[in-house]
Amino acid sequence: MSLGKLADIDRRVFYWILFVALMVPFLSPIGFPITIAPNTQDLYDGITGDEVNEGDVWIVNFGYGVSAWSECHPAVTVCTKALFREGAKIIFTGIHVDLELTYNKLRDTCSEDFADKVYGEDYVFLGYMTGGESVVAQLASNIKSVYPADHFGTPYDDIPMLEGVVDHSDIAGVLSSDTGDYGGHFMTQWQGAYGSKVAEIGIAMNGSTDLPRWQAGNFFGVSVGSRGGAELELLIGELGEATTAMDSISVSHLLLILAIIIGNIGVLTEKLGGKK
Amino acid sequence: MSDILKREVVYAITGIITVLMLLEYFFFDTSQAWAEALRTWAVIIYNISLFLGAIRLSIAHSVRIQEKRRDWQYSGILMAIFVIQLLTGLAAYITTGVATNNGIYNWLFNYVYTPLGATLYPITGFYIFSAAYRAFRARNIDAALMLIAGCLVMLKNAPVGEAIWIGFATLGNWVQFTAQVPGMRTLAIVGALGLIAFGFRALLGKERGFYAGGGE
Repeated sequence: MSLGKLADIDRRVFYWILFVALMVPFLSPIGFPITIAPNTQDLYDGITGDEVNEGDVWIVNFGYGVSAWSECHPAVTVCTKALFREGAKIIFTGIHVDLELTYNKLRDTCSEDFADKVYGEDYVFLGYMTGGESVVAQLASNIKSVYPADHFGTPYDDIPMLEGVVDHSDIAGVLSSDTGDYGGHFMTQWQGAYGSKVAEIGIAMNGSTDLPRWQAGNFFGVSVGSRGGAELELLIGELGEATTAMDSISVSHLLLILAIIIGNIGVLTEKLGGKK
Repeated sequence: MSDILKREVVYAITGIITVLMLLEYFFFDTSQAWAEALRTWAVIIYNISLFLGAIRLSIAHSVRIQEKRRDWQYSGILMAIFVIQLLTGLAAYITTGVATNNGIYNWLFNYVYTPLGATLYPITGFYIFSAAYRAFRARNIDAALMLIAGCLVMLKNAPVGEAIWIGFATLGNWVQFTAQVPGMRTLAIVGALGLIAFGFRALLGKERGFYAGGGE
């Protein structure tokens, strides 16, 4: 096969190569070392130690659905564990129709931490909200007006943990985990307007949008994709799904670079050979 | 009269509400009751639009099924699941107060929606792999720079990059934290300025698309 033909390989060949290559780390984990990015370290520092007082109320917003579990969920799991272990109380909200699945998965992945917590006293699942940036703004000024009751129908006033929790001033911090830009909405309507602590747990694609916001101080920390989740797992000392996925990320990224190189060798050979 | 209702009244409502919300955001330290009421209305209207969307979706797919258009079977599956979820969810809500207290409703979510959702996103990885080979070609200096930057960030994100050469992390961090940030900030600022300009044009009635009358 001439080098020029490298520019014209059937796409199915690549699908099979990737499929087979991704099997390898699952069958035989490699375990490359991981270093901690400063944005992830800031996120972890912001939800642990002196930054969190016992009894603080935090919001964890599920801005991702089932399709982004692999990218967002490990980081949300670590953050939930860290906040619970600091004695914080958590309000869970979400903007995806499947957020109950995500909430149930979180209860599963943090089962040991949920075990000694009482629903309604240590955490509450307020459920689905819709309304884009307007509802995030309204949440800042009056949480009860957005959620007159929790997901299971218990009136807001009957939930002990929410007694005295009225608006942004009663919330110690917000962790928004997104495939979209609800983190940006919290930044504008909470951090920008009232100076609330906001951090973002985004899919890898959101990194380029979120990192400048972290550098500017709008987000106190940012976790980027599965890699961010793996870094957080390392920080809390409990390796999980994201760490397992890192080997696959390594293999797929290497193959991607290899594909780019092969494609360009083919093009270069064609150019040098004068073929159009 | 209808023209006044369609245009001037809509312009006036939009203008008044915009000015009120801007005033509350920039000139009050605490949230104002009148602003809260307006935001509540915005959320209500947003929810109504979801309801209208569901009705519109069901009408569109019903027509496709009736006329047996191309791939109408998919519309049939969509409508069947739509009706099942709606009825089981409503039944559970009426009887228990929680829409998800229904076996069929949960089964469809857990064993149909979840695997499909979890599969859909990773499948894009295969397309990206193939697309990277076919589309990421260094045909000129700009494309070459983009390719190099992309590869550096990939090697920085994947732990294998640092295992190959520790310098990939440094280079990738420089691209991600130093080189791309000015570009993204510029985009954000220019986008915000554009939004302000768009807002003013909308307030002045010059952006007719905003009022759903762009084509008229």
